[in-house]
Amino acid sequence: MAKLKYAYYPGCASQAITRESNETTRRVARILGIELHDMPAANCCGAGLMTDYDYELSLALNARIFAQAEEMGMDIMTICSTCLMVMNKANRDLTSNPGLLESTNAILGEAGLKYGGKVKVKQLLWVLAEDYGFDRLKKKVKKPLSWLKAAPFYGCHSLRPSDALGFDDPEDPRSLEEAIGALGGEVVDYAGKTKCCGFQIDLVNEEAAVEMTGRRLTGALDKGADCMVTPCPFCHINLDNYQSMAEKKLSRKIDLPVFHFSQLVGLALGMSPAELGLSRHLVSPEKIVR
Amino acid sequence: MRLKLKIRRCDPMKTGACSPFLQAYDVEAEEGMTVLEALISIAETDDPSLSFRRSCRSAICGSCAVTVNGFPKLACNTQIIPEHRKRGQLVLEPLANHRVLKDLIVDMDPFWRKFEKTTPFLIPKEEPEGGWKITGEDQAVIDDSQKCIMCGSCNAACNTLDVDPGFVGPAASAKAWRFVGDVREADGERRLKDLSAEHGVWDCVRCMHCTEYCPKGVDPLKAIEQLRSRAMGAGIVDNHGAKHTLAMAESIKRVGRLDEAAMTFKTLGILRSLGMIPFGLKMEIHGKMPHPIIFPAIEKMEEVKKIYEAVEEKRKKERGGEG
Ligand code: SF4
Ligand code: SF4
Ligand code: FES
Repeated sequence: MAKLKYAYYPGCASQAITRESNETTRRVARILGIELHDMPAANCCGAGLMTDYDYELSLALNARIFAQAEEMGMDIMTICSTCLMVMNKANRDLTSNPGLLESTNAILGEAGLKYGGKVKVKQLLWVLAEDYGFDRLKKKVKKPLSWLKAAPFYGCHSLRPSDALGFDDPEDPRSLEEAIGALGGEVVDYAGKTKCCGFQIDLVNEEAAVEMTGRRLTGALDKGADCMVTPCPFCHINLDNYQSMAEKKLSRKIDLPVFHFSQLVGLALGMSPAELGLSRHLVSPEKIVR
Repeated sequence: MRLKLKIRRCDPMKTGACSPFLQAYDVEAEEGMTVLEALISIAETDDPSLSFRRSCRSAICGSCAVTVNGFPKLACNTQIIPEHRKRGQLVLEPLANHRVLKDLIVDMDPFWRKFEKTTPFLIPKEEPEGGWKITGEDQAVIDDSQKCIMCGSCNAACNTLDVDPGFVGPAASAKAWRFVGDVREADGERRLKDLSAEHGVWDCVRCMHCTEYCPKGVDPLKAIEQLRSRAMGAGIVDNHGAKHTLAMAESIKRVGRLDEAAMTFKTLGILRSLGMIPFGLKMEIHGKMPHPIIFPAIEKMEEVKKIYEAVEEKRKKERGGEG
């Protein structure tokens, strides 16, 4: 099997506030033999906000990222669900509408760039599910997570809009569940795993955002989960960093550790808590790590 | 093939309170049978007390939307065999985010009130001499928003409405865009001001659910994006959502990426940022505070600047062309 390699686009959040997910992803990729090639000139995808600001500008900024990957001759791998959604939506619009690709390239041309429409954008979860394969992952597990009851949390942007993403079934997703199974953990099913964490309105309507965060966490807790796992750093910010606010809002102790997807993989591959960056979490997962 | 349908029922009219329960019915399912056909057959042969709404039976009237295995769908437009196969069961429930009146029938009054609040009719400018000349492009920008059949599926799937019933919601937002986006509309700016206020379009979390579950391709989130664009373009920026977005656009233009700390401060203003100090300290202890000063610019920033300039130039020309 040819070596898997990707143009690596961690996303802004994973280079700053949740940098533990970036660092863990790099380590996991190294262990699994997946090559990640940095994109030091890549700009921010706009996180959906740039679509509000100026749709054409946001398309051009995304096309600039795609053009870089095309130049590298690789598909893109991100670890952020919002980047995944924004880039795949932009890519859908550009590749399904030749006029739009042309007018976007006219803008890119001013910067000496061109996008040919050939790049695919994936997320770590997809890469492991489709390109690497969970069977292969299972064989690499050093420490099966047999004691762990993990609640998968997809959030919104890893599954929708399905006509742009086309990975997994947004109404009955299986990829995170299968991943947890491959790592030896027990899956806890609960309502709300594909609903919103609230992140996008943290700064606009904090009360509504924290209410969403709280409902997602307690939904998993009430079904007996001892941790949550999410592929998205933005979801992680709310589920972990905002958890104390959710506790206040719901007047209820939650204390539910939340893993980045990469951390759960890393844990099963035998990485130490320090390598996983677990001390960076506000709700400590260390007490449930063996 | 015999299939089991589980239907969430309740009759608050009889009992005064709603204590919902699941009732199972066996249905003789034929290939292509819709959820609505199954409901009608149950009501005709099994249980005449089962209540649900329907009229056109062909995805036109918008009255039959229900929750099918957890997600809003038109009953007349959804087949039972594939839905049953997908989840190994078929559970029908009333639309979420709506008060139940009886069985699968919900109170649509709050849904209509949200429409009414958006002034759902054109307030025309004075007709230019020689009459209006509407181009295909003028028409195209509001086309999707006119396809709405007011079924309520999007509002039922909406993550913000789930926690804040006061939110304007996707359906009424798409309707508002129908008029704001109309070149003949005279009162667009007033509408945009209303929509930028509390409970307005900036409260949407971009969860994509409305767009995913609209059976008519209205794409309410796209309407919301366009309303936000127009509002900012009209200088209606004195709210957290717009400030956040403008700070982001500025941050990308400056360093090519998101400068989180700077954004928090810009959006919330000094006062609210001060209120966040205890939270900020906790973040700092765990090494989670991003430091704006050390956030380096990406390589080849000049390309990003050129892209911004090219788009700004284009916008200038468009404005010149209009005026
Ligand atoms: S994208 Fe916005 S309007 Fe649409 S369902 Fe989500 S929160 Fe509601
Ligand atoms: S926008 Fe779509 S889902 Fe929402 S009410 Fe209209 S037709 Fe139904
Ligand atoms: S019965 Fe009219 S839309 Fe379904």
